[in-house]
Amino acid sequence: MSDPLKTLIAACRSGEQPYQALVERVPYAQFLGIRIEARGEELTFVLPKADSNLGNPTLPALHGGAVAGFMEQAALIFLLLEMGEPRLPKTIDFTIDYLRAGLFKDTFVECRVTRLGRRVGNVNIEAWQTRRDEPIAIARAHFLLSDDSSQP
Amino acid sequence: MTSEPTPKYTRLDICRRFVTSVRHSVELGIDVTDADEQRVRALMPWQEKLVGNPDTGVLHGGAVFAFLDQVGGLAVAARVYPEFEITPTIDFRLDHLRAPAKGKNVVGVAECYRLSEHVAFVRLSAFEEGQEDEPVATGLATYMRMKIPSENYFRKSKA
Repeated sequence: MSDPLKTLIAACRSGEQPYQALVERVPYAQFLGIRIEARGEELTFVLPKADSNLGNPTLPALHGGAVAGFMEQAALIFLLLEMGEPRLPKTIDFTIDYLRAGLFKDTFVECRVTRLGRRVGNVNIEAWQTRRDEPIAIARAHFLLSDDSSQP
Repeated sequence: MTSEPTPKYTRLDICRRFVTSVRHSVELGIDVTDADEQRVRALMPWQEKLVGNPDTGVLHGGAVFAFLDQVGGLAVAARVYPEFEITPTIDFRLDHLRAPAKGKNVVGVAECYRLSEHVAFVRLSAFEEGQEDEPVATGLATYMRMKIPSENYFRKSKA
């Protein structure tokens, strides 16, 4: 993993940099408009409603792919910060169940690391809008944890 | 004597109109290149804003996912043609086999291999353009079938 990223993570942890800086370095995360709200080291991931993330124009509803991309990116950052010695996570697979339409509202994501092994991390991800106990989508993903960012 | 009226639009027309009506898919730059009853093929150009790894320029897995999710929906639309349906995704699993190279356009192919009364089953894959024997990602998805008249859908979408 690149040294600048390790330095950035350390700066986020020490409070010298906002956690939002981890979003700003990833063009796709910025394109979606992801926000990170931090209370200490507890992070909430927010996808503010945006026209550019619309899918079904008649409801209107968010594009399921935009919600999935948001959940995957939230899990990547969450996993990155769970590791004492951060290694760059790469998505092996991503599986999502859509439970409700994602309405044209702000969306929130919560992550839980199910298993953090030496080479693979497994993360559960839930997205909700109105109530935390009424998720619009649940997902799980496996990430390969590699030291070298140039190798898949 | 009765005969089915000739559909006003081809499968490719329907797919392209659909993409135009979906703002996020327009942002992804999706261009549908082929649409027949068995499969739909589309292209997503490499764009800086879709990069997931700023050190390598590799596209974000989420961008490939969103692209294929859309192409899968189009495969269902092509399969039910000339009927028109809204097809929200029920579930989708995507395996990322290798990273698509920086600057390479991604081709997505989706095949609706089973259409039941309420559910459509779809196989998906993505390739680098010109490397169509080595997928970068493969997936499986199911979509819900919701039948509505296309006139209603496209008329409302302009509001």
